[in-house]
Amino acid sequence: MHEVTSATRASRWLAALGAGLCLATPALARSPQTGDVLWIQAEKVVVRPGEELADAAVLVEDGRIVAVGPDVQAPEGARQLTGKVVCAGFIDPWTGFGLDARSLRDERTSAASRSVDALDPYVDPRLVEDMLRGGVTALRVQAGATAKVGGLGALVRCLPDADDLVVSEEACMAMSVGLDRNDRMLDVFDRVAEVDAVAAALGSGKSYREDQLEYRDELAEWQKAIAEKEEELEDDFKKAKKDREKEIEKAEEKGKEHKEKRYKEDKKPSAPKFDADKEALARVANGELPLIVEVHRANEIRELLASLEEYTRVRLILAGATEALPFAEELAERDVPVIVWPAPRGKARPDAYEQADPALAGKLHAAGVEVLLGSGGQAGIASRDLSLLAALAVGHGLEAEAAFEALTVGAARALDVSDRLGTVERGKSADLLVLDGDPLTLDGRVRHAVCGGEVVYTAEGN
Amino acid sequence: MLAFTARQSHRALRAALRTGATAALALSVAAPLARASDSFAIRGSHVVVGSGQVVADGVVWIENGKVKAAGADVQLPEGLPVVEHDGFVTPGLIGFGAAEGLTGEQFDSTRSLMPEAEVALGVDLSHRDFEALCRAGITSVVLTPSSRALAGGTTAVAKTAGNRLVSRDAHLALSFESAALDRERFPTSYGAAVNELDRRVEAGEGRFAEAAAGRLPVLMMVAARHQVLRAAGFAQRHGLRGAVMGGALTGEVADVLASAKLAAIVGPLSVGQSRRSLDAVLELHAAGVPLAFALGTPWRHPDGLRLDAAMCVRQGLPGDAVWGMLTSGAAAIAGVDSAVGSLAPGRDADLVLWSGNPLELGSQVEAVYVDGVPALGGAR
Repeated sequence: MHEVTSATRASRWLAALGAGLCLATPALARSPQTGDVLWIQAEKVVVRPGEELADAAVLVEDGRIVAVGPDVQAPEGARQLTGKVVCAGFIDPWTGFGLDARSLRDERTSAASRSVDALDPYVDPRLVEDMLRGGVTALRVQAGATAKVGGLGALVRCLPDADDLVVSEEACMAMSVGLDRNDRMLDVFDRVAEVDAVAAALGSGKSYREDQLEYRDELAEWQKAIAEKEEELEDDFKKAKKDREKEIEKAEEKGKEHKEKRYKEDKKPSAPKFDADKEALARVANGELPLIVEVHRANEIRELLASLEEYTRVRLILAGATEALPFAEELAERDVPVIVWPAPRGKARPDAYEQADPALAGKLHAAGVEVLLGSGGQAGIASRDLSLLAALAVGHGLEAEAAFEALTVGAARALDVSDRLGTVERGKSADLLVLDGDPLTLDGRVRHAVCGGEVVYTAEGN
Repeated sequence: MLAFTARQSHRALRAALRTGATAALALSVAAPLARASDSFAIRGSHVVVGSGQVVADGVVWIENGKVKAAGADVQLPEGLPVVEHDGFVTPGLIGFGAAEGLTGEQFDSTRSLMPEAEVALGVDLSHRDFEALCRAGITSVVLTPSSRALAGGTTAVAKTAGNRLVSRDAHLALSFESAALDRERFPTSYGAAVNELDRRVEAGEGRFAEAAAGRLPVLMMVAARHQVLRAAGFAQRHGLRGAVMGGALTGEVADVLASAKLAAIVGPLSVGQSRRSLDAVLELHAAGVPLAFALGTPWRHPDGLRLDAAMCVRQGLPGDAVWGMLTSGAAAIAGVDSAVGSLAPGRDADLVLWSGNPLELGSQVEAVYVDGVPALGGAR
């Protein structure tokens, strides 16, 4: 069993948070030695969904994959791992991990709230180990999970090196519509108002950005005008100087104060007032960040899709989307991915209708919607069971390859980190799983988990 | 041998059962049969027989709703309709602690002691919630009274299709949970509760007498470990047999259960279940305590049963043991193992046709037969 003391773990988190500076002693501030080489040999390397190499090896240097293939030999002195299958580590795009309960359930977050600032460094090391045992190597940490506006979510590794714990500080914007607020169920009018609030927030971000662009243009225009005026004045500088001196004299004779001549170019355009929330929303409105909206009821999904239609740049992702099936065609057409929480959920009351269809993921995928899978943003350890939930979704009709894609490259793509995570390819970060069998099967137990090039978990007996 | 796809054959067989007109079937059966339901066979690429042996290319021969023979070397009479299935054929799953069709019938708010009550009298076996169980591959459930009743009466074992009870009095249900205590009515404390149960057993009347004589096992609901100890002590004091149900950390007192010769019903577990409570299940297994799973349906989705099983396998419980907990082991704890829980001659023909190994969550339920009758057929 790979032993990491809690002190070491905590120090990594602290270091990542910038607080490590004052605590950094050689013993505490453990970081990977430069030049660390790891060679992983397996019967099968799943490069990406649908692309597999038989009897291949993966070579990792300094946390990055430098070679993948059947002929990759182990350099001298490299640490060697073997297993049946190597694949990319799973990414949970919807978790409650990494935050204290108050940050997670905070309902007063705003668009500029950064979840990365709420990362909890004192997480139970056993939870982290469980998480890695479940194959999850990266997660979206999202404060204000049930707030109307949760703010900026971060993508973090599951206990990696201090240096690169955070994969993306600002991976997405999160909002929600129609959830219970303060354990109080919203009535239908409140819920519709929340849909409007999403659109209004994006609208304010959009106009903030427009104001800024307008200011930028005005400023450029002004600067140009000033330059031209200066040039013009330069030409008859002497005359102007004389005129000015004359005027000063005149003013003195009359005993008045001299007034400098005003040029219209003197009026510098004023910058729009800085607003962090609007700045963040502007990035969402402009498609620089994906927007993840948790919404469940059919009418709210419909209204949301309708009200965001004009924001063509917004990269909308739905989370939950319990009743999304009637809109599958539109979601597919508009390239809106859906993060499904495929947990088996029962009924609120014995006589109520089923609330969650375990086949939702499979049905959406079949209709052409990009399906992602998440553990539902619940507190704590639910992410550990993400691969079980994915398997269950497969048992309800989701293609196995689609489920695997959702957990790896799909999630990486949605959160703009597919240049680093999600596949086993040269140049990618080494966030890998070494399994005893195919992923999402009973045999596919995690033998080793590698995070940012470091072997962070090894199963007992290996 | 007839060869057609499983889906077609299920459909055809269902139609046959509805009409009873075998001759009209597109099965091109050579020898005429009296009725399709009387006798047919299912051939699977994998058939799980007995207590969990997987037979490749096995056959289950079903006659009059019972298994006539099951295994690899079953000689089928010529002309017998055969359903071909590419996948696993297994006995139906069994879970404890279900409440389908029991809305409002699980407890009486004014009385905590109702040993003569019968869940069997309160259940609506035609309630459509049973279908959801069937879709999850569950063919028998142990219906239990609420843990709010100190003595809630007898549990029943029901089939999830066909409106049939396997047992009307599987156990006497007792609750050692704090839910059984109530400020407004007797008993108000653990002491009073245990004292009353002791007194009833010693008085030797009705269901308590049956339990004391060993004819009726007790199903003791527990949540915390101290309640497990109290229940085990009670059972041991009076020489009762039976099981405890519930309690995430019950396994941490596994030795006590083992020495009291009690079984344990674990779960319902949930997504994100703590490692400590999963390890506790392993301890129960290591101590040799007979085990089964709790369902918690309909409030929980029936698929939770297989999810719990998969969590236990991942935690290190052997697959065979977990399979037993889902089938024959559960049937034994419910005292109905002579009828359900395994594919062996004389047992009820409760079968599930899976696309693959049922312990794999990625496997789908493709057809379910209860008492030889298709309850769910073809791909969903």
